[in-house]
Amino acid sequence: MAERATSIDTKSLRRRSRKAKVVSPKAAPGLRMPKQIRQFQRQAPVYALQGIGELSTRLREMTGRDVIDVNRLMEIAQFVYQQRELARRGPDYAVDDFGFDAEWTESFLVLFKALYRDYWRVETTGIENVPATGRALLVSNHAGVLPWDGTMIKTAIFAEHPHPRHVRALVASLFMGMPVLSWFLRRTGQTVGHPDDTRRLLERDELVLVFPEGVKGTGKPFKDRYRLRRFGRGGFVSTAIRAGAPIIPVSVVGSEEIYPMVADASPVARLFGLPYFPVTPTWPWLGPLGMIPLPSKWRIQFHPPVHTESHPPESANDQHLVMTISDEVRNTIQAGIYDNLKLRRGVFV
Amino acid sequence: MGVTPALTPAHPRRVLITGVSNPLAAEVARRLATQVPSLFGCDVADPVSAIEEMDFVHADTRQSVIGKLVRQLRIDTVVHMAVTVDSAGEDRAAHETNVIGTMNVLAGCAGPSSPVRRLVVKSSQAVYGAAPGDPSFVAEDAAGSDRPAYGLKRDLLEMEQLAQEFSLRTSGCRVSVLRLGFRVSEGTTLGRYLSLPVVPTFAGFDPRLQLLHEDDAAEALVRAVIEGHEGVFNVAADGIVLLSQAIAIMGGKAVPILPPYGRWLGRLALKAVGVDVPEHLADVLTFGSVADCSRLASTFGWKPAYTTRAVMDSLARGKDVEVIEAPSPPQEYELQVYLQRRRRRARNGHPGAALMLQK
Repeated sequence: MAERATSIDTKSLRRRSRKAKVVSPKAAPGLRMPKQIRQFQRQAPVYALQGIGELSTRLREMTGRDVIDVNRLMEIAQFVYQQRELARRGPDYAVDDFGFDAEWTESFLVLFKALYRDYWRVETTGIENVPATGRALLVSNHAGVLPWDGTMIKTAIFAEHPHPRHVRALVASLFMGMPVLSWFLRRTGQTVGHPDDTRRLLERDELVLVFPEGVKGTGKPFKDRYRLRRFGRGGFVSTAIRAGAPIIPVSVVGSEEIYPMVADASPVARLFGLPYFPVTPTWPWLGPLGMIPLPSKWRIQFHPPVHTESHPPESANDQHLVMTISDEVRNTIQAGIYDNLKLRRGVFV
Repeated sequence: MGVTPALTPAHPRRVLITGVSNPLAAEVARRLATQVPSLFGCDVADPVSAIEEMDFVHADTRQSVIGKLVRQLRIDTVVHMAVTVDSAGEDRAAHETNVIGTMNVLAGCAGPSSPVRRLVVKSSQAVYGAAPGDPSFVAEDAAGSDRPAYGLKRDLLEMEQLAQEFSLRTSGCRVSVLRLGFRVSEGTTLGRYLSLPVVPTFAGFDPRLQLLHEDDAAEALVRAVIEGHEGVFNVAADGIVLLSQAIAIMGGKAVPILPPYGRWLGRLALKAVGVDVPEHLADVLTFGSVADCSRLASTFGWKPAYTTRAVMDSLARGKDVEVIEAPSPPQEYELQVYLQRRRRRARNGHPGAALMLQK
């Protein structure tokens, strides 16, 4: 009986298997191009690159210098290709608990390196003060309406350091509440400027970047450029002491001139719930074009670390010690700014 | 023979579950049935499927009957699960259930004549709300911050405050409050939202989502009942997924068309699509809310088995499978009542019933 049952089973299975259809991907809806055109579409990027390569050799022969930078074009092609590959990942990628997507972030480094090398021509010194492994707290001055200085510090460490590593910057909750910006900042490894977050990141042996001036720094008028604001209540020092992380002061020069903020339209700011609404020679007069930063000359200096790990964790509650270290860091950064301003020949050269 | 409740029972003996007809409470009852000697359940509605070991009582927590029930049945452990944690908008009923209902339950458990020694209250991660300035992982102490509370969040905060006051006043009773993470099973607002074929999201935001599997929620509640951990605990899965990831896992398409400012407008649009997203959930879908569950791990010595990613995957798998609603047939409830009566008679020394039970 049992045998017979199985034989019926296999028979019915076979019958069913004959019915099974081969599932092929459906043709995309809409107009289908002829085969030749589709083939050309697929090959077009290769032809384009070949053509540009030939054109560049011709131009070099004619003029005697590089008119078209092929490497740059290759970088752009690579960027586009990388973005397409990333889009193809679907939902199968992992972000860390803070929402940081390392792969995605690294794909943007091409753009940021271009800004770093060619647009702002950043000169970085003291990169050897940044440890290759382990926790550290980078403390920097903050300026220039939008947090481009953070981006450039991150790029500097990725571009110049012998052991490139991601910097996790802490961002004011104001930026975390903004559409697009909040999404981009979180995805690229930033988190909200909360003592709890600083502690967690340092405990994971990350390189954390803080701007103790906060929005007081980014929103200061152009006439006050390169004058450090108050460093809060030294919260960053207590967090560093508790986590046993060295503090590395960072001076950034050049970020003040990218958006010269001549006035603050505070009624507009109040309307949108912002701490300031910048008015620059181009913004908001030129619309979105006004958001293009000016190509000032930048210098970034990493100072030798202030070793807070020598203090016991309990001393984080010692307000005198905390304020002393905070002032020391502030003075180092301010002195560094003046040094680098002297080293810079002009604002845009 | 009557079970006299000891002053500090090592193990709960007579457990009452309020709101037992909701699926999570029913699951908790099913798990507790094998672990405690006597189990009672009460709710306004009949349970969907009968649990033989549980005695079911029709009782509304909004009426002050719990005190009598608790004293008559000599309940030593109350699991308060008649709490709405997923309601849409300014629901008056949710306020009645959460605040007034909890007040009645607590009043019933209070007083020197009360035999209750252990109280477990279901709450939700919704008490934290969500804001851009929140730390990336909210700890238990962060609730009730300076931000004004509204809707469900305010009700839950008020409820937790009542529970806290109760635990301060009543020294003989251990109170644990479990803030369960957001669940995405069928029927939950978040689950329905993520299952939309085309999901409108708030433009320019891609928040981190942290979820909790139903199994883990039930397990956490059972552990709180059996082990009696005192205090407030976050219960949520490990890890996060981004909202866009979650939508892609579900096979939907995220369309960022809801306005980033003026979230009420977005909620109105979602209502038109058919998902009534409450205010606190709209905030969570904009800024994200992730709880720090280290206290749970250290006190319970346990953490949820499903990661957030696994919760999402299981939801996506469940979407393809045809859901078979399995309520007991109508006679089942009558059968349960009959069995209850027979057991009670057996306990009271009815010879015939006892004989039948022995057979």
